[in-house]
Amino acid sequence: MVLQGILFFIAAAGAIGGAVAVVLLRNPFFSVLALVCHLFALAVLFLLLYAQFIAAAQLIVYAGAVMVLYVFVVSYVGGADEPIDEGGGAPRALAPIFAGALLVVLALALAGSALTLLDTNGAKLPDNGNAYGTPEQIGELLLTKYLLPFEVASFLLTVAAVCAVVLARRRRGLEELTDDSPLLGEGLGKR
Amino acid sequence: MSHSVALQLATVGFEVSVWAQVIVSFLIFFVVFNMIPMVLLVERKVLGRFQGRYGPNRVGPFGMFQPLVDIAKLASKEDFIPRNASKMIFIIAPVISLFTAIATIAILPFGNTVEDGLFGANYTLYGIDVSIGVLYAFAFGAIAFYGLMLGGWASGSKYSFLGAMRSAAQLISYELAAGLSLVGVIMMSGTLSMTEIVNKQDGTWFIIPQFVGFLVFLVAAFAETNRAPFDLVEADAELVAGYQTEYGGIRFAAFMLAEYMNMIVLSGIGVTMFLGGWHGPGPDWLGPIWVLVKIFILLLFFMWIRATLPRLRYDQLMSFGWKILIPLATINLMVTAVLVVYA
Repeated sequence: MVLQGILFFIAAAGAIGGAVAVVLLRNPFFSVLALVCHLFALAVLFLLLYAQFIAAAQLIVYAGAVMVLYVFVVSYVGGADEPIDEGGGAPRALAPIFAGALLVVLALALAGSALTLLDTNGAKLPDNGNAYGTPEQIGELLLTKYLLPFEVASFLLTVAAVCAVVLARRRRGLEELTDDSPLLGEGLGKR
Repeated sequence: MSHSVALQLATVGFEVSVWAQVIVSFLIFFVVFNMIPMVLLVERKVLGRFQGRYGPNRVGPFGMFQPLVDIAKLASKEDFIPRNASKMIFIIAPVISLFTAIATIAILPFGNTVEDGLFGANYTLYGIDVSIGVLYAFAFGAIAFYGLMLGGWASGSKYSFLGAMRSAAQLISYELAAGLSLVGVIMMSGTLSMTEIVNKQDGTWFIIPQFVGFLVFLVAAFAETNRAPFDLVEADAELVAGYQTEYGGIRFAAFMLAEYMNMIVLSGIGVTMFLGGWHGPGPDWLGPIWVLVKIFILLLFFMWIRATLPRLRYDQLMSFGWKILIPLATINLMVTAVLVVYA
């Protein structure tokens, strides 16, 4: 249990530090990297909560797919050398108000619970503790109890992907790539 | 502390002392790590033979100490960081690559649980047996990408950057195919746990019913490890050496080490999923040796292909991955699903 405690505080510090760094760092590339650190720390926290599958999915989907695209885009076109636009006017004025409101809400929530749960060991694992959070259990739930939301979500993602392709195509008017296209370097395909 | 508390990372219901776990972990790491110089030497020898020359034969008998002096040479080189480089990330990138490669060794099963084995102790012949099984490997594979990507970006060189970009696109495309190729095996065995999958192959190995999956996995493995004919990431004719162009000395050695470690780990996953893991003729204690032999056969196949096939062009690589491998893996998946339910 001591090990888990140590690991928890390391991961928690990583999660908070990463999240803060995302906002504070000036270079967008480093911001993205900080977000990756944050997601990795979250995965460790999931692991500590016996959610192995979620932890792996977090790494594979977020760190491995979503953030890869972010890194890709930022390092290609994001202008990693120029700092993010300082902004000004309205966003500048509104930001403290929203931040203050969020602080009040969080403070109320924390004060309301009076942090009594800190003294307990948290919620008990269900009786079949060993199967809890395994891919088997999650898969069964996804294909029985939560089938409809699962399918709706996948449908939504498909629609979004198709829409993205359609929009990108219309704006740029991509030509069909052939072996003679200049993009392939002087018709390499012919030789 | 028994491992029922320890994050459920070990088989539950089989009591192993912490010491046994520590010793076995060290042993597995030691064996796998020492395979790397062997693979390096064998690869250079085999490549030499394929190309009608001797390969290294000066240091030690049959050139056997060549990897040793290679590593000594790299370790004694100047510790060099380019002026344009982003220093911290430049330093940390090879560490990420190496860390993820080594972390994945943990799930390779070299044998089953052993009760009353050597010295009358209970022990397991694998690092950990996680319920998420091969997803563990993919999770670390996802992080491994950052080693290459950051290495290429932080070098502050165009060749490195382009190599890193290629690696990004290549890894994303082929990880999909690699994942899909393994799902067939997972459906047939009904579990993700690596040891359970090997246990299910007691009769026939999964390479027979899942031959298509095995082929897709092999091809994807070449791409995942950036090996010829998919080594566009470090295509020497176009990119000098890709993401490692600016690296030298021990950092370069770390990247090389990670690459070969990844080869060994992916071969190990292939052996576990398709080639029956520790099953083979002979008594049970031969199990780990069978695993090593099978891994070596796959590695030799890697080298054979490297010596035989020329490098693909970049668009060929992409269209091969997306238009052939992924549809093939999907069809294999659907056929397997129908057969698993109705046969």
